[in-house]
This record gives sequence, C-alpha cells and structure tokens, in this order.
Amino acid sequence: MGLRDILTGRHQVKDPAPDRLFAISTAYVGLQSEHQIDPAGSAAIVFQSLATSDFESTLKDMEEVVTATGGDSGTTVSTQEDSYGYRWMILRNPDGTPSVEDLAVGINAVSGSIETAGYGERLLCAVFAFVDAQQRRVYFIYNYKRGYWYPFVPAPGDAQERSTERELQLKAQIGSEMPIEPELERWFPLWGIPI
Amino acid sequence: MCFCDNLAMVAKRQSFGKDTGLQARMLLTLFLLGLLYAVFVGVLFAAGAGASVIVVIAVVLLLMQLFGSDKLAMAAMGVKEVSPEQEPELHGIIDRLCVQADLPKPRVCVIETSVPNACAMGRSQKSASVTATRGILDMLSPAELEGVMAHELSHVINRDVMVMTLASFFASLASMIAQFALFFGGGYGNDEEERDIMIVILVSVVVYVVSFVLLRTLSRYREFAADRGSAVLTGRPSALASALIKISGAIERAPSQDLRRVEGSSAFFIIPPRAKKSLMNLFADHPPLEQRLAALQRLESQLQGVA
Repeated sequence: MGLRDILTGRHQVKDPAPDRLFAISTAYVGLQSEHQIDPAGSAAIVFQSLATSDFESTLKDMEEVVTATGGDSGTTVSTQEDSYGYRWMILRNPDGTPSVEDLAVGINAVSGSIETAGYGERLLCAVFAFVDAQQRRVYFIYNYKRGYWYPFVPAPGDAQERSTERELQLKAQIGSEMPIEPELERWFPLWGIPI
Repeated sequence: MCFCDNLAMVAKRQSFGKDTGLQARMLLTLFLLGLLYAVFVGVLFAAGAGASVIVVIAVVLLLMQLFGSDKLAMAAMGVKEVSPEQEPELHGIIDRLCVQADLPKPRVCVIETSVPNACAMGRSQKSASVTATRGILDMLSPAELEGVMAHELSHVINRDVMVMTLASFFASLASMIAQFALFFGGGYGNDEEERDIMIVILVSVVVYVVSFVLLRTLSRYREFAADRGSAVLTGRPSALASALIKISGAIERAPSQDLRRVEGSSAFFIIPPRAKKSLMNLFADHPPLEQRLAALQRLESQLQGVA
C-alpha cells in the first residue's frame, strides 16, 4: 500500500497469491506414513458469494465442471452456506477410498473457475480434513490471499477452543514439506467446519 | 484436467468501478490543508523565537496523542476487550474479514451500552482495535454487522487515525497559540512586538477556523472511502446500507444521556453519536446518511452490472 493509497483512503481486495494448494498432495504422504494422520476423504473451499446473477451462473458452471472432473474418481460435490454468509463447496471422495490428490484437483478446479470468471478476490480458504490416531479431526487450511497453509485442530467438545499445542507439533512435523503461514497470529480459526 | 491450464491469461474483471472523483477531492483537501499549514508555519517563523517553543510543545502533544489517546478514549468510554469465547460471532466475522483483507487481526472490544455504534482506533495496523457496542451486536443481522465491521477495518487499512491525527496537527497548534496568546498576550514589550503578537493571534484564529472546515471535509471523505472499502471487502454494499439505516434510526430515537456518555471521539464512529440535524453539513464529520446510501447504491449497481 503506497503513500498515495493511504492519503486517498483507497484499497483493493487482494487477489489470490501464487497457488501453493498442491503442496498438500505431497505433504499428506508424510502425514500418513510417519505421523498416523489419515485423510478423512473430504475437503471444502470457502468463498464469499455475491448476490449477482453473473456470480450465480459462474457457480452453476463450476459445479458442472467439478462434477465432470470428479466423474472418474467418484468425487461428489455439495454446497452450503454458513451462518456468516460464506459459501462452502464440499468435495467428498467415495466411501473407503480417500484421495487427497483427487480432492486437490477438484478444489483447484473450483478456485480456477472462480478466478477465470474474475472473482478470485472472493476466495477465502480451502480446508482439507484429516483424522489422527486418536480419531480426532485435524484440519489443514489454505489461505488463498497469502498462499500459506496452517493446521487447525479444534479441541474436543462444543466449546470454541483449539489445541494450539497440537497445531504447533504439526507445524514442526511437516513444516518442511509445505509452506506454513509464518505469522502465528494469522492462523485464523474456522469454527463449525462442516467436514 | 486440462482445465487447470487455461486460466493464466484472463484479464481481471472489475466488480466495482473507480472512484476517481472521491480521490481527487480528497487530494485537493489535503493540498489545501498543506498550503494553509505552510503559510502558518511561515508566519510563526517570521514572528520569531517564541514560536519555536510552541512548536516543540505541539510536537510533544502530537506524540502523546498518537501513542496515548486511544487508551484514554477507550478508558473513558468503558471499552473492554473481549475474547473469542465471550463473543464468538463477532470474532468469527472479524477473522474472516481479516483473511479477506490480508490484515493482522486487531483487538476486538465491546462497550456495554444500548446505543448502536462501532468504531476503530489505533495509529497503526498492529496496534489497531475495533469496537462494537452491545446495542449494535443485538440490533444487526450477521451480514449487516459484517458490513459495519468491514467499514471499521477499512479505517484501519486506510490508517485513518494516523492520517487525521497528522492532518489536524497544525490545527491543534493554531488553537493552542490562539488560547495561549489570549491568556498571556499583551502588557509587555514595545509597540512593534505587540503588533507582531496580534498578527500571530489573528493568523492562528484564521488557520484554526479554515483548517477546521477542511478537516471536517477530509473526515467525510474518509467515511465515504471506508464505506466503499467495506463494500469491496464484503461484496455486499446493500448490507452496509441496511445497517446504516437501522443504526441511524435507532440513534435518533436513543435517549440523550447515553449519547453524551460517548461524546468526544466521534470521528471514528460509524455514525456520530449526536443529533446531526442541527449541524450544518459543512461542519459535520460524517456525510449525511442520504449521500452514503446513494454512494452504496451506486456500488451495488456496479456490482450487479447495470451501471
């Protein structure tokens, strides 16, 4: 943000950073083999939905594209809106055959068609779900604005608490294999993840 | 799979048009302020040594204002910081907006008053805080609250506290000199010195009055810019418009005791806590509601692709 932008009070919403989404499709191998953290077979992409006819038709095209791309692997797509008004597009592998690669390809197809339509600035994040040895959910969140990943582990129970200790352990375990958000205060929680 | 490859060469679509007019007016206002201040400093130096002491005092005051005023104001208004456990919804909204704006998360605070309002404070993005009153949390829908919080975060992104504090530096200096001189002025020295002092006082008064009008004008432009920033950030201009209608309606009906409690630092509230109708537009630090709604309506039209 330059001096002129400060003086005139002007700012734009950032477009997505260079894409490092596919880091997950290599990093998960280490997670699975060395740290007993298995893919849960689902991932989601979160974005602001604009109430315009152009955006709605973009979404419709996009769902067709993802369904077509996922046709071979059997990945299914569903959408829902959360209480903050953000749209979640949820991709699920067929039962019993979780594939992080398929999910990453699907998520990339969604973000790709949103960007192609010129709405890249509306992308918030992508979430990949994993399950650890104690059957607890572990999420990896990809921040589109910054092109960084970070782990998010909600503590058991309904309270909105996160297990920061576990998250930091995860960072140490796979930090060398994927671009992890360096600023801890930007590990924003995402409560009520529907996957 | 071929899908991933063909996105590289797409031109960026603009959801919102440019706001060249607003930017030009803001730069003109800043230019006029700068010109005024340059003349003022010239007169001070021409008047001689006494002025430099005042400048030093003013710089100290400015630093105090930059580094301490938000804490003072927050203490005076009964602002308390809230944790994500206490206000999960408010924190959730701000978390998402911070991701969207690529902004470090500011402190999140609440004032326990039924008057619906919100404000942003802090001289930098790192030390920023956003505050909502209990009244606004209870009154607005999540989408409207998001619009208001995006407006406050836009103040943080635009560094409005810093810009306004610096812009009003010489105005404070002029008002100080005018008051100081009225207190101690006259009664000593020869005729020539006395005449110089009178000139400095007169110039100070003029600078104060003119800069007051210019600062208010600048403040209104910053509000328009923050409204626009909110619309760009959330993609929902009409949600903010709806929130503004609700808040302003409630503020006009609210009892005046509560209004007075939050008097004094209205520049960064989303709607100033006062009866606005008695004030002339020229002196108001917020634009009239109708103009803000019209600007948001234009943004919504641009978004819908009909303008």
